Amino acid sequence: MAHAIWSGSINFGLVTIPVKLQTAVRTNDLRFNFLHKPDEGRINNVRRCSLDGEEVSYDDIVRGYEYEKGRYVILSDEDFKRVNPEATQSVDILQFVELAEIDPMFFDKPYYLEPEKRGRHAYALLREALKESGKVGIAKVVIRSREHLAALKPNGDALVLELMHFADEIVDAKSLDLPAQETPHANEMKVARMLIDTMTEAFDPAQHKDTYREEIMAMIEARAAGKETPEVETKAPKAGNVVNLMDVLQRSLEESKKRGAAPPRSADRSEARAEPEAKPKKAARRKKSAA
Amino acid sequence: MPATRATKELVPIGGRELTLSNRGKVLWPEDGYTKGDLVAYYRAVAPYALPHLAGRPLTLQRYPDGIDGPAFFEKNASRSLPPWIPTVTVDSEHGKRDTVRFMLCNDEATLAYVANLAAIVLHVWTSRDGSLDTPEFVFFDLDPDETCTLATLAKTALALRDLLRTVGLEALVKSSGGSGLHVVVPLETVYAYDACKAFAEIVARTLHGRLPETTSLERSPAKRRAGTVYLDYVQVGRGKTLVAPYSVRARAKAPVSMPLEWDEIEAMTRKRTKETAPEFTRYTMKNAPVRLAERGDLWGSAYWREQRLEAALAKARDVWM
Repeated sequence: MAHAIWSGSINFGLVTIPVKLQTAVRTNDLRFNFLHKPDEGRINNVRRCSLDGEEVSYDDIVRGYEYEKGRYVILSDEDFKRVNPEATQSVDILQFVELAEIDPMFFDKPYYLEPEKRGRHAYALLREALKESGKVGIAKVVIRSREHLAALKPNGDALVLELMHFADEIVDAKSLDLPAQETPHANEMKVARMLIDTMTEAFDPAQHKDTYREEIMAMIEARAAGKETPEVETKAPKAGNVVNLMDVLQRSLEESKKRGAAPPRSADRSEARAEPEAKPKKAARRKKSAA
Repeated sequence: MPATRATKELVPIGGRELTLSNRGKVLWPEDGYTKGDLVAYYRAVAPYALPHLAGRPLTLQRYPDGIDGPAFFEKNASRSLPPWIPTVTVDSEHGKRDTVRFMLCNDEATLAYVANLAAIVLHVWTSRDGSLDTPEFVFFDLDPDETCTLATLAKTALALRDLLRTVGLEALVKSSGGSGLHVVVPLETVYAYDACKAFAEIVARTLHGRLPETTSLERSPAKRRAGTVYLDYVQVGRGKTLVAPYSVRARAKAPVSMPLEWDEIEAMTRKRTKETAPEFTRYTMKNAPVRLAERGDLWGSAYWREQRLEAALAKARDVWM
């Protein structure tokens, strides 16, 4: 198992369950480096002051909040520490609610909670009680020095802590131009419902793959091996193309014949040449180096 | 762990004194095979391997810390390349550098030098210095899906051979050393890459048209159907490579890419193995020299018949349409 983010406890009422907070989702984003095109040198970022043009070291950088155009309030590291919630390393349950009451829009990122040895029994009890009641705990938790709202949910054998957005982080849909509720034509509705029904199947997350990532990786591997970049085939090739291809090949063969300048074959395949033989130079773009 | 001291020794090979280093370095931790074993293997098979390497721009796949460690591809010859090893400089295809200076492996001493770099896998162009624009064969990489059976793979290869025979062309086959098969159609070196590409595509599409259930032309692995053989016909072109015959692969047991007889492929159609890999790990760095001594080079001049495409195309218009 991966390294725990912290060790702490779940607290509610007088109960304390020692747990470790573990990552539950990972991002599979590909990382690229910026390179200088002609020589593949890595690109460095240089921090430069906009007033004197000088390069600035990290020691000379402070954070400023622009409270009106061109005017800043400077906050020091100490200031941030002062407001920072204490790293309590606990999941403090504030209330229990029906899971269905929570709009899924509020869910942000899940973490696993893993019990410490002496918390196993209480952990299992809380999990089963939540399952039976159909409820989830609403808690406050600090992760990487920021306080979050979170839901504590049973998931198989695990308790999952799902970070939530605060209400003021959710953009109100009222700001969008959306059609008001209307009663559609019965026939239209029937067709739409039929379409949905025919495309309805059990949800299998494994069925949906990150093909973008796989294709980029295939391209990188192929290119590292000096191979053709795989191209994405958009539709299954049809036999019809073959006829066109035969015409392409025909022309290409005729051209080969016309040029007729094909070099002679090396004399004997079964014997390695100690030195590459001197051959008539083709019009190819190649130079030969001194061996 | 006992500290392994860096060792160096001078070895005479082909009239040259070669410095070989750290012979005892283990490259296959599971099997205990060392860099010295790799050098010994490539020296032993040099008479068979060199005809397929000589004059062909070479890309090394190096495993300095063994097969479980990081690997890198070396196309551009190192500045420290000994001056007696010939190179050929070609225009770069990908525009990183203007040119790439490939080394050529024309003799046993070079092969030993390369093995000493822990270059386990050798990738070569399909054309040679002096005629770099006209390949010597068309190459099909038959790459089975994880769930594809050995029998399906073998049947696909045989179908490809038979399809080519209907237009009068003979193909040769080798194991990739991994889980697939490589099929080549030897040609007179008079055809441009474009012609060979078009030919390869015609063949692959025609074969797929006949075996739509068990073959795939889909280049993205995610989109291929399970249990199919990917007919990779796009590795035909200037600067594109294949794993050289008799090259070792960086896998457990040190399997090698081994030229096979079509009879051996026919035998595979009768096997019920679920996975293809065990069949192809049969020939390894350890036993390949014995097979070679018995059978000789199955891709050698006795089998390698240079063919022309004009008549084949005319026939294909007739019998493949």
